[in-house]
Amino acid sequence: MRTGIRTLKYIFVLLIILGLVIVVAASIGAAKISLKDTSLILASYIPGINHYIDTDLLEYQDIVIISQIRLPRIFLSIFVGIALAGAGVIFQGLFRNPMADPFVIGVSAGAALGATIGLVFITGVGLLGISTTTIFALLGAMGTAFLVYNISRVRGKVSVITILLSGIALSAMLSAMTYFIMIFKTQDMAKIVFWVMGGFTSASWSNFVILAPVVTVLVTISGFFMRDLNIISLGDERAVQLGVQTDKVKKILLILASLTAAVAVSMSGIIGFVGLITPHILRLLVGPDHKILYPTSVIAGGIVLLISDTLARTVLIPREIPVGVITSIVGVPFFLYLLVKSKKQIF
Amino acid sequence: MSGNNNILSVKNLNFSYDKKKILDNVSFDVGKEDFISILGPNGAGKSTLVNLISSVLKEYEGGIEVGGRNLKELNSKDIAKMIAVVPQYTNPGFSFTVAEMVMMGRNPYISRFGVERKEDFSAVNKVMEKTRILSFADRKFLELSGGEKQRVIIAQALAQDSSILLLDEPTSHLDINFQIEFMNLFLNLNRKEKKTIIGIFHDINLAIQNSKKIMLLKEGRIYDFGRCEEVISRQSLKSVFNSDVFVGKNPITKKMYVSPVFSPTGQRAAAGKKVKKYLRIHVIGGGGAASPVINLLQESGYDLSCGVINTLDTDLDTAQMLGIPYVNEAPFSPISIDSQNKNLRFIEYSDAVILPTVEFGPGNFSNLVSVKKAVGLRKKVIIIDEKSISKRDHTGGKAEKLYRKIIKDGAIVVKSVDQILSHL
Repeated sequence: MRTGIRTLKYIFVLLIILGLVIVVAASIGAAKISLKDTSLILASYIPGINHYIDTDLLEYQDIVIISQIRLPRIFLSIFVGIALAGAGVIFQGLFRNPMADPFVIGVSAGAALGATIGLVFITGVGLLGISTTTIFALLGAMGTAFLVYNISRVRGKVSVITILLSGIALSAMLSAMTYFIMIFKTQDMAKIVFWVMGGFTSASWSNFVILAPVVTVLVTISGFFMRDLNIISLGDERAVQLGVQTDKVKKILLILASLTAAVAVSMSGIIGFVGLITPHILRLLVGPDHKILYPTSVIAGGIVLLISDTLARTVLIPREIPVGVITSIVGVPFFLYLLVKSKKQIF
Repeated sequence: MSGNNNILSVKNLNFSYDKKKILDNVSFDVGKEDFISILGPNGAGKSTLVNLISSVLKEYEGGIEVGGRNLKELNSKDIAKMIAVVPQYTNPGFSFTVAEMVMMGRNPYISRFGVERKEDFSAVNKVMEKTRILSFADRKFLELSGGEKQRVIIAQALAQDSSILLLDEPTSHLDINFQIEFMNLFLNLNRKEKKTIIGIFHDINLAIQNSKKIMLLKEGRIYDFGRCEEVISRQSLKSVFNSDVFVGKNPITKKMYVSPVFSPTGQRAAAGKKVKKYLRIHVIGGGGAASPVINLLQESGYDLSCGVINTLDTDLDTAQMLGIPYVNEAPFSPISIDSQNKNLRFIEYSDAVILPTVEFGPGNFSNLVSVKKAVGLRKKVIIIDEKSISKRDHTGGKAEKLYRKIIKDGAIVVKSVDQILSHL
């Protein structure tokens, strides 16, 4: 009954799972590092415990691999997962549509076009250690979200159907523009395709330092609107009658979710499935109450994307599989299994 | 005006949608313990009015004051604390449990950064008990039946703990048992918890049997607003709904009821087939026998009067309802000389007198005497003889004797009510 206590229980369990997955993910890879050593290295970074860890006993090389190569990638994938699942929950709630994912309003197509422009036309180091590709992807994603949002705003109100349609329409146009550039720059085609497929190969702490606080702030603010999101799912008019400032809350949530998705997609490329299906899986497990669904989905999104990325980089060592391929090939059958097993109407 | 007694005050309210005027200068006050039904045809502006009061629609001209405060100056949570709406349907996008749905009604009391407190849970429990949904509090809302769902929606609105309850056709898609159950619930809320209730009801009878006041809306304007007896009449309903209805009184509850008129003779009269030879007709009343006659003749456009009728007689209700002049006598008392003289005056002014199948006793024998006088005055007298006079003479043969004399003197005898038209 008490949603607060239930939520905390779920969050606690999910955080433990996340912690375990981090340890495992940090230990496996091209260079074999034992779970014990990995745990010690990770513990040496945790304030309070680090005094008890004697790092002299550990291989210096292992410490560098974990701290400079694996951990940035692990945490980047976690935060992108958090962002995608968070945006997915909000869009599905606002649109009352199970097909809604973080990219419904066209941020992915916008990011792809931006990234393409960045890759093809502008070469440079970028800003604060962030590549031009990422910056342009972010501009493309936010620009698209802004455009779609304004197209769909009529007399101070936002029509979700118009958003859905204009998002699809604009995505199609932006994708076409991306392909158009690719025809003339065939030499960059592989780079563009690889970026679009999504992944964390170029992960670094400098990306993380930007991504983590932004995602944390956006997700935290969004979290305070989950009671409203529950009520808005009864319909706009009913929500007003129950004391929700429907138009205002919808706008706020749209902006927050669009920004969250835009930031994620510009850092990682287009990673499908996570933002669409993580909320569905969690809805089957914890129910539809967004006050529980949102925090749990967010952590689960981090777990799912971390596992996926770990598989992506370890299954075919030394080759890497694009993480989006893993999320779909492994995740979809799992989701379908849950769907059939529960036989419940999830929406 | 928005002083102590008025909880809601609407002044010069105008609302247009796409340049079409939906509400036109609507003003009214609602008292604290009122139970008001808004009646009117589709498109009259009923739902718009509810949406304006509940602040779903905000772009209006004029003023709405709730509890003495301007609606436009209140935030949405404050409004939801004072006004709760029970809609016709609610269709949540997700499969929330019953308890979760009801808890949403507590939203106005929970801060954005807070969680549900003890008093919220106890309020939810209380309203779930009241609406008899506590036993299935953990079931999924979407798996419930229509009536159960509506109970949950009512509980959700009650959880808001508001002083005003707006009902927007809350029962119109439900079976009669739920209509009665919910109406009783609303009545209890009105009487025991002193909640102000303003409702749109699909069923006119449901509305007028339970409301203290009726508002008739027509084309965005208030046609009439007041107590049921003042507002509901055949004329007013005809004007507002553009259809002919019979307005009577429920003999048991003594409340008004409305039923549609399906009368072949009425249609004939409406077709103008009959030329009205007699403009004024006086109908002798008693025991409800005159009511169908009055109904038929009123519908055919005759100018009517009725008498002598005892107070509490159905015929008196009919006459009052249709606005027909009448002579009445105290309940269960014999007709006085005074009343008989009044009755005779009506007869003198009439072109015809109709005697329905009335039971005769010592108390109303003088009515029969009046009919005899009408024959003497060379008025056209029509007797409706649906039951032998010997079986309805409780005067020991006196009435039967006079009855036969009247017939002998030239009164027309018909065997049923609808035959009278052919003799007029």
